Amino acid sequence: MIRIITRRLAEVAVFLLLITFVSFLFARMAPGDPVLSILRVDDLSVSAEQVEQLREDMGFNEPLLVQYGEWLVDFARLDFGNSYISNQPVMDMLWSGVPATLELTLGGLFVMVLVALPLGSLAALYRGSWIDQVSRGLSLLGAAVPSFWLGLILIDLLGVRLGWLPTMGRDGLHSAVLPSITLGLAISSVYVRLLRSSLIDSLNQENIRAARARGISEPRIFFSHVLRASLPPVITVFGVSLGSLIGGVVVIEVIFAYPGIGKMVVDAIRSRDYPMIQGYIFVMAILVFVINSIVDLSYRYLNPELRLKGKGRV
Amino acid sequence: MKKLLVLLAALATMALILSACSESSAEGGEDAAKEVNLLFNFATNSLDPHVDTSYVPLRAGIAETLVYLNDETLEIEPWLAESWSSEDGQNWTFKLREDVTFQNGKPMDGEAVKASLERAMTDNIAIKNALRIESIAVEGPELTITTTMPFPEFPSELVHPNTSIIDVSETDFINKPIGTGPFAVASFTPGTAVDLVRFEGYWDGAAKLEKARFSFNEDANARSLALESKGADIVFRPEVETVEQLEAIDGVTVESTSTFRVHQMTMNLQRESLKDVHVRQAIDALIDRDMIAETILSGHAEVATGPFPSSFSFAPDYPEKKRGIDEARKLLEQAGYTEQDGVMQKDGEPLTWTLLTYSARADLPLIAQVFQSDAGQLGIEVVIEQIEIPEEHMAANRDWDLTTYSNLTAPRGDAGYYLNATYHPDGALNFSGADDNKLTAMIDELNQVVGQEQRSDIAEEIASYVDEQMYNSFVLHPNTLVAYNSDKVKNWTTTRSEYYMLTNELDVE
Repeated sequence: MIRIITRRLAEVAVFLLLITFVSFLFARMAPGDPVLSILRVDDLSVSAEQVEQLREDMGFNEPLLVQYGEWLVDFARLDFGNSYISNQPVMDMLWSGVPATLELTLGGLFVMVLVALPLGSLAALYRGSWIDQVSRGLSLLGAAVPSFWLGLILIDLLGVRLGWLPTMGRDGLHSAVLPSITLGLAISSVYVRLLRSSLIDSLNQENIRAARARGISEPRIFFSHVLRASLPPVITVFGVSLGSLIGGVVVIEVIFAYPGIGKMVVDAIRSRDYPMIQGYIFVMAILVFVINSIVDLSYRYLNPELRLKGKGRV
Repeated sequence: MKKLLVLLAALATMALILSACSESSAEGGEDAAKEVNLLFNFATNSLDPHVDTSYVPLRAGIAETLVYLNDETLEIEPWLAESWSSEDGQNWTFKLREDVTFQNGKPMDGEAVKASLERAMTDNIAIKNALRIESIAVEGPELTITTTMPFPEFPSELVHPNTSIIDVSETDFINKPIGTGPFAVASFTPGTAVDLVRFEGYWDGAAKLEKARFSFNEDANARSLALESKGADIVFRPEVETVEQLEAIDGVTVESTSTFRVHQMTMNLQRESLKDVHVRQAIDALIDRDMIAETILSGHAEVATGPFPSSFSFAPDYPEKKRGIDEARKLLEQAGYTEQDGVMQKDGEPLTWTLLTYSARADLPLIAQVFQSDAGQLGIEVVIEQIEIPEEHMAANRDWDLTTYSNLTAPRGDAGYYLNATYHPDGALNFSGADDNKLTAMIDELNQVVGQEQRSDIAEEIASYVDEQMYNSFVLHPNTLVAYNSDKVKNWTTTRSEYYMLTNELDVE
């Protein structure tokens, strides 16, 4: 176990170094620097000389590698700097947004499970029947509908017309319901199809037929054998698509004014707030790593063969 | 199998019920207190008045500045400062109101104001640059401020929300700044909303509202829906397309107010064809302003004649201009161009322009397209190029002719900011490359003159000269839309500066 953890830590260190370097290069090679945003040229009087002076002071005229080196030294001291725009410590800002983003991600996953599990299972169990058709139709529809549109429809229906749920902000659990449903519905279409095909595979396995022959009840066969056997592929895909899931939260955060880190980074990119962008990438890398590790562990749990062999990464 | 089916169906139903019923008590309690919920279009993660770029502390009535921009006269008036004066434009005396206390009960005195201004300059480099303060001396309720150079528009810079006066001996600037305004912070959820309570000791009479909520949503559609669902009472910048729908709702009023912003056609004076004033005038004549305002902005705009909205004292009465394609053709002919085989040309060289535009303001690319099509009718090829950050691009690249650009021209009631930034050779927004000795001398003169009236006269002259030379062409002043529940909200004023929103006068029925 200790060996696995040490190896993982070494991996994550290399991974972080790589990802911060690449993101640093990409951010700075893009046209524009934050000097004009910092000086608020849009509503405060500034001279060209002052712009150039600040550019010089902030080191933007230095070669890229020197700039990255300086960043790395600060990073090694766990100093992520202050946001150029709000002047607050980047890490404080980001960590304050992480709970909201995690909340939405988990809420979305919860809804996804509630939707995909029954729909996918029914479609597999009644393969070819109208239930299957309907479930496939729904998942196709789900894949085609953009999540911001779905969000606005849900706001209109459940918030405006029915008045059941708050449509924006983050005031306790109830305000997470609508954004979670939106996110959950948006991602479930993939998993309905995946679960269906994975279940069909499992249902056709020898051991299931054997279990049936032994007279074990259908629900028991389904829940303790079929479902369990069909989950690993689903979880694998989940692990891989996690990054895009968290990325997708951004749109939801904007529509529902849910104060997560996605919204923050959109602003940061717009104003070329480098410390924020770098901090975001760092936090996301860690989040994705942690959740991936959890996925990995659950995968081992579900697939005892891997546990025994001691190699679980996908 | 049947059992399984039943089980799964039950699971699915439960999911639906759970998601629908998990909260039904969100509403209610609305009529208990006199309260208003204002929904704004920029979110903020910090209430620190000295750095927050959404200006929420000022807009939400938490903090106030020394001087106030009157929305009707467009002149600067006393606020926390009772009066001010300067003889040379460099040494300023400000007399503070003596009956003002912060929301924590401490007096707003000279030392407190000095400390607040100094903190604003330390924490905000843009403000430090803009104020150019060298020293502040305090004597009783009087502040003597010396600027690093003669700086006649100094008082107007103090309208800026980032110069708000707060008690800097308190420390939680981000979540609970202590200002002098009619509302104190009750709680703040970064990125979502700030909840406010009435400050009983407000110097100008306690607010009529007991509580207020200043919330944020960056999605225009979602804001419109919030007003419909009565989740918000006042909504800033609802989606233009939803305005009719909102107006159709009983008790909803939509206000469309002109702003201090101008959409303009910036011309690159270093390009050969644009060096000729007739060509620049032709471009101006080609822009169909009425059509653009009507179709692209659905009428929510004022057609521009110059950089400053016509209500400003320094906006000149411009001579009437002939416009349209025929006029443009005539002007181009004066510049030596002729239309041959459907191509506008001079010495065998066809006339083509590269027009930059960017999507951060959705109307600008559309204006570019309208212009492209109109110029096409004259045989001029206009190549539209999408850019990301206009300021960066225009400064770094000079291989363009025109740019649709949007600019605040008199955000604090003084023309100095725009004229210096845009037409002085040293200005940070001088993308045209304007370097005209006469113009520079006029701006330099403006920079020496103290007194609003005299400044207005000179600014007016400069604006007239810019119009004569047609250094840029001005298209329209876009309006700000505010929709609100007028059955409930009383005394709401949409200010053109957009600085002042929650006031002590605001009330509900």
